[in-house]
Amino acid sequence: MRNYYYPFLSFFLLFNSLSFSQNPQQSQNDELEEKKDYGRFYGGVESNLQYYLEDSGLESAIVPENPLRSNNYLYANYTYKNWTAGVQVESYEKNALLNYNPKFNGTDLGIFYVDYKGEKWNITLGHFYEQFGNGMILRAWEDRALGINSALRGGRVRFTPNYNMEFTALYGRQRSGFGVTSGDLFGFNADFFLSEYLNLYEKNQDLSVGFSYLGRYESFDNYSQLQSPDYNELTNAFSLRADYMWKSFYANVEANYKTKDGIINVQNLLSDTFAEPGNAVTFNFGYSQSGLGVDVSLRRMQNMGFFSQREPSTFTNFEGDQSTSFDYLDTFINFTPALTKQHHSLLANIYVFQAQQNTSFEDTQIMRAGETGGQIDFFYKFKKGTFFGGKHGTHVFLNYSNWFNLPGKYTFNPPSYDVDFFGRGNKYFSDYSIEIKKKLNNSWHLGFNYINQYYDQRLLGGGDLVRADIITAEATYNFNNKRSLRLELEKMWAVGDREDWFGGSIEYNFNENLSIYFWDIWNYGSEKAEERVHYVNVGGAYRIGAYRVALNYGRQRGGLVCVGGVCRFVPESSGLTINFNTSF
Amino acid sequence: MRLIILAFLLLSSTLAFTQDELPNVTIKDLKNKPINVKTAFAEEDKVYVFSFWATWCAPCLAELEAINEHYDEWSEELNMELIAISTDDSRTRRRVRPLLNGKDWPYQVLLDSNQELKRALSIVNIPYSIVVKNKKIEHIFNGYTQGAEHELYEVIKEL
Repeated sequence: MRNYYYPFLSFFLLFNSLSFSQNPQQSQNDELEEKKDYGRFYGGVESNLQYYLEDSGLESAIVPENPLRSNNYLYANYTYKNWTAGVQVESYEKNALLNYNPKFNGTDLGIFYVDYKGEKWNITLGHFYEQFGNGMILRAWEDRALGINSALRGGRVRFTPNYNMEFTALYGRQRSGFGVTSGDLFGFNADFFLSEYLNLYEKNQDLSVGFSYLGRYESFDNYSQLQSPDYNELTNAFSLRADYMWKSFYANVEANYKTKDGIINVQNLLSDTFAEPGNAVTFNFGYSQSGLGVDVSLRRMQNMGFFSQREPSTFTNFEGDQSTSFDYLDTFINFTPALTKQHHSLLANIYVFQAQQNTSFEDTQIMRAGETGGQIDFFYKFKKGTFFGGKHGTHVFLNYSNWFNLPGKYTFNPPSYDVDFFGRGNKYFSDYSIEIKKKLNNSWHLGFNYINQYYDQRLLGGGDLVRADIITAEATYNFNNKRSLRLELEKMWAVGDREDWFGGSIEYNFNENLSIYFWDIWNYGSEKAEERVHYVNVGGAYRIGAYRVALNYGRQRGGLVCVGGVCRFVPESSGLTINFNTSF
Repeated sequence: MRLIILAFLLLSSTLAFTQDELPNVTIKDLKNKPINVKTAFAEEDKVYVFSFWATWCAPCLAELEAINEHYDEWSEELNMELIAISTDDSRTRRRVRPLLNGKDWPYQVLLDSNQELKRALSIVNIPYSIVVKNKKIEHIFNGYTQGAEHELYEVIKEL
């Protein structure tokens, strides 16, 4: 089956490159003549290749049977007047990188679509990406680094009668691997920008409101254990939101509700009786002016796990380990990112919080129904010429976030809960940080970070409570316009889990095209001798125009790899990685 | 083997052609006004630099900060404008406005929250900048290293 794609692919590429290639010089000459519209061909290529190696110094490193693995993507589109058609061919050969969704297997057509875009109407058939509001009831998106592609396959109509309103209606099934799941999704969204009608721009104000609906229909025929379930095959989700701005103040509120739906137990099975509705409320406000910004986000989510297939698929890998599609963020309909600060430092990314939208009853001690908490973000710039500002100014960032389980009564058997709207339950996570950035002169840039973290693994996937303090110091020296050296040192004092770490990285930019780096994080404080290892990595990146090639050789620490508040678990491994991407 | 053939095919095909126009995509500005990137930035002979960034992307901020230091000079000397396109999603989108006010950048900022434009341009990683003149993509910077803003200046100057 998959062999057929190679001739198809090569023909496709060859054909396209012959007929549409056009270098800049040529096209400049052509401009003088009457240019005929042959349409436009565009897309991109990404390839991530990894060769896993045996590593005697890293006991838990996994070396799969086929140690050479790769994820490759070819995205190609053709536009002619108002029409666009495109495909994404994906190739996971031989197998996808470790701990990607096992459904990403072999080479196949991942995405295909045809799109018509007129002045007021936009119609798409095939796969499409979409987000309603903050994504709390629907976000169909792609993140290759996380192995997420939750595009919907179906049809979407968007109507924009004028630029102050927009309506979207859609139907589709969600992509999972190279297929789709069994749930049917129907959605509707409306956005209204009211400022012009209410003459708010004149008053320095801005107001917009939105409403969305998403229905998921999944037949109970897939679940033979259900006799007379307490919930319907169709689950409805609603979202209401408003955005308001007045001078330097702004506020945003969003409320979401999901009708009663079955909840899976610890064996990942549905039952007739364990079913609850879900809801989420987000309130965000802030103030900002030149050199000063304050932002506050509060959010409470209760049982907001929403899946296009109620029970996850289960897999067993070559080592006999069990996993489910939820572990690969597969079949997630909505998007519930953790509202915490995303740190740059290596050590501050060991204990990363993931939002707890699901109801999960693991044992009599660990019962969760959601999360509640908030984040405060503060920014201040000490101006040039002041005591703290010095010659070039000083930037200070403070961040404070705290997340808890919902407070209330939880019963393990039969599973049920009765939670309060206000208040907080057991603490999951907190993160307090201060970041200072300072430019001394044209050659020297300095940075300093202090981060305090609380991460309760007892509630978040297993392990013990971790309390950590992290300090990082960073300096960049510019030799001239092109050459620069960056040095960063990090230290983490932790109580619980793997205890203390030390880290350092050094990065050298030869010029605007080439840079190399070396970094090491060392778990010297672990109580277990086999954990006291150095995770050493060395690599570089070369870029020219649209091309970028990166090479890395070293050890991957087992744990969460996160992009934008969403995380994927990766096992310990050792090896060589090559990444390549370009666009055309 | 098949893998190598595939890689070779992909590589050779991309050498042959480059995307030469901005896609017909509409995204929003900070006031929720929809902006069509293809038609809104079409002043004759003016050079537009579209710089993709996010509040959590340290090298992106470094790039925009570095360009900011020369921006007055550049825009006086050259007929150019920089448009900073934030790819922040709903997790970090709220941080865009405070950060912008804090930074006091002179750029027009557009929001690409579900990465529609980013995807249409096949951008894998940010920072990523595109130089456009007369609706044509003239140059691409895939990444940023300290000092690359001088290369950008040279590129704009030669156009």
